[in-house]
Amino acid sequence: MSERIILLVEDNPNDEALTLRALKKSNILNPVFVARDGAEALDYLFLRGEYAARRPAGNPELVLLDLKLPKVDGLEVLRQLRADERTRLLPVVVLTSSVEEQDLLRGYALGANSYVRKPIDFNQFVDAVKQLGLYWLVLNQRPPESK
Amino acid sequence: MTESGATKSEASRRQEGMRLLAEALHEFAEATSDYPRLLAVIAKRVAESIGDVCSVLLLSDDKESLEGTTYYDRDPEVARQYAAVAQRRISMSQPTVAREAMQSGKPICIPRFDIETLRGRTTPESYELHRRIGAHGVLVVPLRVRNEALGTLSIVRYRPEHAPLDEIDVEVASSLANHAALAISNSRLLKSARSEADRRLEAEAALFESERLRRAEQDLARANRFLDAIIENIPDMVFVKDATTLAFTRFNRAGEELLGLGRHELMGKSDYDFFPKAEAEFFIQKDRETLAAKAMIDIPEEPIQTVRGTRWLHTKKVPILDAEGTPVHLLGISQDITEHRSAQAQLLQAKEAAESANRELESFSYSVAHDLRTPLRAIDGFSLALLEDYGDKLDQEGRGYLERVRGAAQHMAELIDDLLTLSRVTRTEMRRQRVDLSELGRAIVARFQSIEPARQITVVIGDGLSAFGDEGLLGVVLENLLGNSWKFTSKRQDAHIEFGATEKDGVKVFFVRDDGAGFDMQYAERLFGVFQRLHHATQFEGTGIGLATVQRIVKRHSGRIWAQGGIDQGATFFFTLADEVSTP
Repeated sequence: MSERIILLVEDNPNDEALTLRALKKSNILNPVFVARDGAEALDYLFLRGEYAARRPAGNPELVLLDLKLPKVDGLEVLRQLRADERTRLLPVVVLTSSVEEQDLLRGYALGANSYVRKPIDFNQFVDAVKQLGLYWLVLNQRPPESK
Repeated sequence: MTESGATKSEASRRQEGMRLLAEALHEFAEATSDYPRLLAVIAKRVAESIGDVCSVLLLSDDKESLEGTTYYDRDPEVARQYAAVAQRRISMSQPTVAREAMQSGKPICIPRFDIETLRGRTTPESYELHRRIGAHGVLVVPLRVRNEALGTLSIVRYRPEHAPLDEIDVEVASSLANHAALAISNSRLLKSARSEADRRLEAEAALFESERLRRAEQDLARANRFLDAIIENIPDMVFVKDATTLAFTRFNRAGEELLGLGRHELMGKSDYDFFPKAEAEFFIQKDRETLAAKAMIDIPEEPIQTVRGTRWLHTKKVPILDAEGTPVHLLGISQDITEHRSAQAQLLQAKEAAESANRELESFSYSVAHDLRTPLRAIDGFSLALLEDYGDKLDQEGRGYLERVRGAAQHMAELIDDLLTLSRVTRTEMRRQRVDLSELGRAIVARFQSIEPARQITVVIGDGLSAFGDEGLLGVVLENLLGNSWKFTSKRQDAHIEFGATEKDGVKVFFVRDDGAGFDMQYAERLFGVFQRLHHATQFEGTGIGLATVQRIVKRHSGRIWAQGGIDQGATFFFTLADEVSTP
């Protein structure tokens, strides 16, 4: 199922490398596209700018979204995704660095599907990513693609 | 009525006269104190002794006329007619029998007379009356005392059965007249003496009254001065305006000082004379409102221009009504709140500054959490990657170093998390509610057990432990206290932890007790300080922030926390939380 792309929105190269490593170690072999700021993520998702002609043109399987991002921050990305009919039901897992960020996000009620706090202990992160992958990519029946 | 006539002997009539005189004397003496009654008694006595009618005529004060005072006849109708005739004053300039008797000082007796001989010797009305009743004898006796003529007694006989007047009648009448005159004189003296006494009494009473008035005025003046002093010394501006003109009628010292104007400048003038037009109009409008409503109005803030610049007043205006309920004055009391107002503004500024500083702190905390953790993740993550992917290229010692790197990174992450929790405790707003501490404690212990299922440990949590407070913060308290017990009993086989409540001096005291490593009581004070640790990191892990956080939370719940323990004798942490009723 090579078309089942995971979009990782992450500006920190270390976190990016660790996340990719965690996915690999969790046997999640889906292709991962990495957007390095909020604006790029939105262009990718809404097929704008340099991503206007990306193929396949459909939504990714899952978005892993960091909150603290250059240009457009994670909260704004999430808000725009939820406001658009095409991406309203797209599964988004928010990667947070602190409990405060989670509280903040809940306060906005923007409809993230899940939160993962990036643990310091890499093994815990691998476990968390494993759970995510199993849930979103194996157990969860995706809602039908909206037109 | 004693009959007098020729049938009786002269001697018996004289004897009879003496008896009558004695009786008359007694009666006159009795009536002396009552002048009008005395005159009536004289007339009656003489009429009954001599007969038939007796009039008492007295000289007026100006001695110009004789005035009829009292008339007596046993027939009241005749007495009335005599009184009617004698209402008129008999002028002393007219030639009358009475005047003749008065002037001569001798009785005049006409025992048997033709009515016509009376014409011209008495008044026409008197003549007419005597003619009509058929008077046949007249006797006029002067009333004299110490050669002073007082008036006359006039006796008229008209009843046909009566004998003519004779010498004995004249003697008896003269004696009666002498005594009557004395009695009249005495009575007059008494009367004038009395009126003099009364006059003196009245004068004294008047004097007393004026003194009383003077005192009352003094008291009133004193009371007024007292009230004036109070109004004058009230530290707020007090002013009174006329309800119609709204001109000032009263001003106190605080008002003068506030406005920088003397009361002589203010009296009789209105707001328009002192303040800018818009301001004066505002004051006047509020005055009218107060007077129309007939009720006090409160103006929490109003600006006023004074010599010291704009001042702010808190003013109350009160209508002063008369007895009919019509407003006659307007009373105003103004407090200068300028300083208070600027202090409030400063307070508000300080509050805003504090809030903005708090927001900055919050974003700083967020950055700390985010930015400090990010490199730690890389340190730990890549150390692990190195171990996993290149572990075989390192010896035991090299792998040990990498483990130390990871351990240090994770400890630093805990420190960051605990510091953030500590700062959050004081920053976050409390949402108070009834919290089931038993359930909270059990959930925490269950989590510990799931992490370390192999621990041999007996945990007892009392039932029905509850408190009124913030659930999240109270969770942090139990997490730390139970976590400490869990940690410090880790070197014991078969350890015990208990969470319960007891009562001390009527206050509920919660406690968390364990039989772990304990602590030295001499360091008990230091337990709650930030970064204070009583154990070495090699013995027990920890950041030294947990108990400081717990203490802050307990304090925010208006409670107290303290500890008891001994080395290797376990530790007990006691804490109280404010009850629902005392919650602010």
